[in-house]
Amino acid sequence: MDTLVEIQDVTKVINGRTIIDSVSFEVKKGEVFGFLGPNGAGKTTTIRMLVGLISITSGDIKVLGSSISTDFEKAVSQIGAIVENPEMYKFLTGYQNLIHYARMSKGVTKEKIDETVELVGLVDRIHDKVRTYSLGMRQRLGLAQCLLHDPQILILDEPTNGLDPAGIREIRDHLRMLARERGMAVIVSSHLLSEMEMMCDRIGIIQNGKLIDVQHISDFVQGKEKVYEAEVDDPAKAQRLLKNKYPELPVQITENRMLLPLVRDSIPEMIKDFVQADIKIFAVREVTKTLEDRFLEVTEYKGGAEHDRTDSK
Amino acid sequence: MTGLIQNEWMKVFRRPGTYVMIGLLLIMTTVAGAFIKYQESGGTVPDNAEWKRGLQTQNESYKKQLEEMGETVPRDMKEQYQREIALNEYRILHDISPNEEYSVWGFVSDTSQLIEFAGLFTIIIAGGIVASEFSWGTIKLLLIRPLKRVKILGAKYITVILFGLMLLAVLFGYSALLGGLLFGFPEKAVPYLYYYNGTVEEQSMGFHLIAYYGLKSINMLMLATMAFMISAVFRNSSLAIGLSLFLMFMGGQVTRLIAMKYDWAKYSLFANTDLLQYFEGVPMVQGMTLGFSIIMIAVYFLLFQALAFYVFNKRDVSA
Repeated sequence: MDTLVEIQDVTKVINGRTIIDSVSFEVKKGEVFGFLGPNGAGKTTTIRMLVGLISITSGDIKVLGSSISTDFEKAVSQIGAIVENPEMYKFLTGYQNLIHYARMSKGVTKEKIDETVELVGLVDRIHDKVRTYSLGMRQRLGLAQCLLHDPQILILDEPTNGLDPAGIREIRDHLRMLARERGMAVIVSSHLLSEMEMMCDRIGIIQNGKLIDVQHISDFVQGKEKVYEAEVDDPAKAQRLLKNKYPELPVQITENRMLLPLVRDSIPEMIKDFVQADIKIFAVREVTKTLEDRFLEVTEYKGGAEHDRTDSK
Repeated sequence: MTGLIQNEWMKVFRRPGTYVMIGLLLIMTTVAGAFIKYQESGGTVPDNAEWKRGLQTQNESYKKQLEEMGETVPRDMKEQYQREIALNEYRILHDISPNEEYSVWGFVSDTSQLIEFAGLFTIIIAGGIVASEFSWGTIKLLLIRPLKRVKILGAKYITVILFGLMLLAVLFGYSALLGGLLFGFPEKAVPYLYYYNGTVEEQSMGFHLIAYYGLKSINMLMLATMAFMISAVFRNSSLAIGLSLFLMFMGGQVTRLIAMKYDWAKYSLFANTDLLQYFEGVPMVQGMTLGFSIIMIAVYFLLFQALAFYVFNKRDVSA
C-alpha cells in the first residue's frame, strides 16, 4: 500500500506552549484513519496543520510527497476537508456554495458538481438556501464540497458531531465507500469511541499533544483472545479449577462473576469442567473489549502524570 | 482570479443588505432632485444684464479688504480672495456669465455630496468582506483551496474597489438621468472655470464632473482600504466599520484643528485625501502641494495593503 500522507515529527508551539509535541504518523491509500483523543488534546490543531490553516513550528507534513508548508497549492489540491462544522454561506443555495468552491479549484465541471450532488443525495434540495438545511444536510453538502475536485485524501474533523444516528450511519457508509471504492485515504477525528470503532481501520490516540498509540482496530476488536464473563454460584471453586488447568490465566473475580481472557475454542472445555465439578453456571458471555476500554487504559496509563495540563482549545 | 472576484461579487450581491444600500442611494438622489425642483419653481434666474458690473464691484471690495487688512490677513482667506478675483476677471474678460440656469450639471454637482454615502456603504462592505468569513466560519473552507492566500485577499480587495466604483457609477448615472429629466440639458455648453497655480482655465462640464467625482472619491476609497485592512488584521467587522466611519466623519475636522497649530498635520491621511483643495480651495497646511498629497496617499495605501496582506498571510486560522 502506498502512503498518501506523512506527518513527520510535527510540533506546534503557540505562545511558548507546546500544543502538539512531535507527532508522526502516516496514512495509506484506501484506509480510514481515526484520530482519537479527549477534547483539547490537539486533534483539531493537528488537522488544521494538515490542511495548512495554521503553520507548523517544526517538522513537516507531506501530501503525496509535497510539503504543505513549502508547496501548499500542490499539496492541498489533493485534499478535501471539513474542519469542524461544515460552515457554508447560509444566504446562498447549496448549489451556489458548490459553484463557489468549484471556481477555486482547477477543472471542476458542471457535470462534476451534479455528479457529486447526486452522490451525497442532495438532488432535491440543492437549489434551496443553506439556511433552510438541517444539520445532516449541511454535513452532506460539506462532504460534496470536499469531493468536488476529486482529492485523494479526505480529512474530516468530527464528521458526525451533532448528527442523529441515521445521519451518523450515512456518513460512515459514505466514508467506507470512498475509502474502499475510490482508494481514498480518509482521516477522521472524533472523541466518540464507538463511532471510530465502526468507521476506522487504524486509530491514533492523541493526548496532551502527544500521539501515544497507533493501532489497528482489528487488533482489539477481532483479536483471537477475548474476555469472557462467567456467572457461577461458587467463583472461588471455579477459580481453583481454572488455576489447575491454566496456571497462567489472570482471572478476575467480582461477587459471583469471573472475567477470564480465553480463546473461543476453549470455552466448551471450560464449561464441561465446571459441570463435572458440579459448579452451577448461570451464564457465559463474551465481553467485547471495546475501543473505549482500550482508550481509557491507554490515556490513563500514559497521560495520567500530566493530568493538570489545561486544554489547548 | 476572475473566478475569485466572481465569487466575492456573488457573496456581496446575494445578501439583501447590498440592495438596501443601492436603494438608499437612489432614494436619496431622488429626494434631493424633488427638493431642488420644488425650490427652483419658486424663484427664477436673477436678471443678469448687469452681471459684469456686479463682478467688478465684488472684485473691488475684495481688493479693498485685502489692502485694509494688509499683513494680518489669514493665509487661507487671502488665497480664497485671490482665487475669486482671478475667476471674476476671467469671466469679465471672456464674457462668461456666472448666472447660468440650473441644469443637469448643477444637479450632478450637487448630488456629489452623496459620495459620502457611497463611501459609507463601501466601508461597510470592505469592513465585512474578510471579517465575516471569520465570523461565519467559512474562512476554514475558503483557505484550504489550492490558491495562495494573497490571491484570495487580493480578489476581495478588488471586489471592494469594484463595488465602490459601481456605487459611484450608479450615483453619477442616476443623477445625470434624473437631472436631465427634471432640469433639462443647457442649451449651450457652459465651460467650467478652475483656478490652479495662479491661472484660470476652462474645462468642459462633463469632464469636470467626472474629474470632480474621481477626486472626491479618493477619500472614500482610502477609507475603504483602511476598513479592509482593519477587517483583515483584526477579523472584526464592527471595529473596521466603526473606526473607519468615525474617521470618515471626524478625521477631516480633527486634522483641520491640528493643522491650525501644528505643521505635522500635513502628514495625516485626512489632510491629503481631499485633492480638490488644490483646485477649488486652499490647502490645509501652507506649503502642501498636489505632488506631496499624492505621495502621502500612496504611502498610506501601501502601508494599509502591506499590513493587511502580511497579517492575513501569516495568520493561524484557529477561530
